[in-house]
Amino acid sequence: MDQVVDLFLSDASTRKKWEELLSSLGLHDFSEREVDVIDHTIGLKDEEGNLVGTGSVAGNVLKYIGVKNDNMAQGARFNKVVSSLMQYLVNERIFHSFVFTKAKYATSFEHLHFNLLAKTDTAAFLENGMPDVTDYVADLPKVEDQATKKVAAIVMNANPFTLGHQYLVKLASEENDLVYVFVVANDASLFSFDERLELVKAGTKAFANVKVVSGGDYMVSPATFPAYFLKTPADLIKVQTVIDAAVFKNKIAPDLNIHKRYLGQEPFSKTTNFYNESLIDELGHDIDVVVVKRLQENQEIVTATKVRQLIKADKLKEISKFVPPTTYEFVKKNMDELQSRIKKGMKIDGN
Amino acid sequence: MEIKTTAVAGTLESSDIQIMISKGSNGIEIDLESEVEKAYGDQIRKVITDTLKSYGLENAKVKATDKGALDCVIKARTLAAAQRATETQDKPDLEVL
Amino acid sequence: MTYVKNRLRRTMMFVPGNNPAMIKDAGIYGADSIMLDLEDSVSLTEKDAARMLVYEAIKTVDFGVSEIVVRVNGQDTPFYDEDVRAMVKAGVDVIRLPKTESAAMIQKLVKDIEHWEDEYGIEKGSIGVMAAIESAKGVLNAPEIATATPLMMGLAVSGEDYTADMHTHRYPDGRELEFARNMVLQAARAADVYAFDTVFSNMKDTEGFYRETNYIHELGYDGKSLVNPRQIQMVNKVFNPSKEDIEQAKNVENAIREAKAKGSGVISLNGKMVDKPVVEKATRVLETAKASNLIDEEGNYIGE
Repeated sequence: MDQVVDLFLSDASTRKKWEELLSSLGLHDFSEREVDVIDHTIGLKDEEGNLVGTGSVAGNVLKYIGVKNDNMAQGARFNKVVSSLMQYLVNERIFHSFVFTKAKYATSFEHLHFNLLAKTDTAAFLENGMPDVTDYVADLPKVEDQATKKVAAIVMNANPFTLGHQYLVKLASEENDLVYVFVVANDASLFSFDERLELVKAGTKAFANVKVVSGGDYMVSPATFPAYFLKTPADLIKVQTVIDAAVFKNKIAPDLNIHKRYLGQEPFSKTTNFYNESLIDELGHDIDVVVVKRLQENQEIVTATKVRQLIKADKLKEISKFVPPTTYEFVKKNMDELQSRIKKGMKIDGN
Repeated sequence: MEIKTTAVAGTLESSDIQIMISKGSNGIEIDLESEVEKAYGDQIRKVITDTLKSYGLENAKVKATDKGALDCVIKARTLAAAQRATETQDKPDLEVL
Repeated sequence: MTYVKNRLRRTMMFVPGNNPAMIKDAGIYGADSIMLDLEDSVSLTEKDAARMLVYEAIKTVDFGVSEIVVRVNGQDTPFYDEDVRAMVKAGVDVIRLPKTESAAMIQKLVKDIEHWEDEYGIEKGSIGVMAAIESAKGVLNAPEIATATPLMMGLAVSGEDYTADMHTHRYPDGRELEFARNMVLQAARAADVYAFDTVFSNMKDTEGFYRETNYIHELGYDGKSLVNPRQIQMVNKVFNPSKEDIEQAKNVENAIREAKAKGSGVISLNGKMVDKPVVEKATRVLETAKASNLIDEEGNYIGE
């Protein structure tokens, strides 16, 4: 009988065996970006002690799952690996997990009660456990007769919330009966998720028909999207965008009656621009995409990136031109802390 | 009996069933995945529901992933998950089984 | 199910207590005893779930003719009390105590069993106990452990933990276990209880398995612990009595029958007295022969 063992990838010889196994199964990307986020890895050993399977966990995401010669009864090894990873997560009090995988493996996961959130030609995104996307949508605040209302959505990282964001929200608020602002939930940004959410709430208080909510695990961010199973890293943005759009369109929007999504125009970042364009493609006929021109302040376009650069440069005064008073007060109060995060290596050029 | 936390018992391996339980308000709601759903789905649901009720739970969300478990396995896993969810696993309630 | 002191116990098959697939099929291999394990094969986080699974399995699964033994967690763990309670209520045949080092530990187990038998209205004495000897101290105290209670079914040597305690490990020739094997066997024989040898886990080394099984059979062990059902037939083969043994045993039986018919108090065969050990040996041989299908219902030899 195969045995489940803990694998410590910090051990060079273990790491080598692990990479060899996965390489033989067609996975070749062992970059820092993918491997460093792993919290725990398990291995499957056969009766002779050979490594015949493995799987890892990064946060609530299952990664690098692979099994060899799984010609035993209906994927017994695969089931054992996934089962062990879930048991590990449960012991960590994580009852809700995700997997991004090659499209062809989606069915194997579905047999283990993973539900498909989105699928492209190459990749699939599935979830397992509780609460799931249905619970997430059911728990979002709603208004009476929402089905007859004009409902729009904005997804933002708001790192931090600027006058540009506020302008976008205001416009949407004026043009619709109800606006959901989904704040991307990850802590890969200079401002933590809780900080970002609070600042968005504070900066949109004046708009009665705006509901600021956490994007949960369902706003797929390029920052956290695993790419190790893709053919080339260049596929990342494309696959991530399509997956993200599909989840929004098929799992989030319908029950909330969302038919419009507002985006800020992207003048600088090629990546974001590409993202916007693919989003328009993917959302298609079901959801109108409104691209709003960026707010300018004395010929200068307002961006959160600019604000973060000013924090790094210690130019508090200038920041007030780009952010609402609520964000300004927060930055002023926490300048030291924010600067120390940058010093500790937090990147500020991304999003 | 009150559910205090989400809890899981059982595995995804052959002849087992994985039961995940969390708070509910609509009776016993069961989301079942099983290869033998057509033939045994109702029976599996009944065993889960009966076990939870005799343990004293009227409301719960249950996610069950069946890999061909016998009734006795379904009962044992359901009760184990329920006791973990109610944080009473140190005092197994054998009367339920 | 009720504990039977004397029965055939050549094979004791270990079954992990949290593995439904293995528990479900455990009865089909014809092991003399099945040992459902709540201890080493169950991870700390699954102790509660395994206990319930084993409890439910004992109550509902058909284990055929096998005797059901459960290895509970040690007395120094927080799982022991509930393990014992659940297994008494389930109606197990024998409870096996791991890491036994003294008679007092066995007496505590018996007291705990009796407490729950009282609680659940189960007749006292319906559950036997056995001791796993897994340390130097346990080996040296084997005699007092073997005689600790009339409910003692047997002693088992557990090689992995014992060799670790002795600052060594398992070797193919088994010399590291020599003293423990002999000591435990002596203690078991002197107390008239069963003796079980440790597991042999390298499934690929068939020759080594036969060598070890032959050796412990020669020493006088009653049976061997197993981890794989494939080993059951192998052990049975080693423990099979020869055709001559069976003939001899049948002669002893015939002599007894004849003596009884004549109303004679003295049983003799070929001019020698047939005493208790000879009678017991004959019974054991015929039982084993019957279980291995070497003789038919009428006692005719049908082996190869």
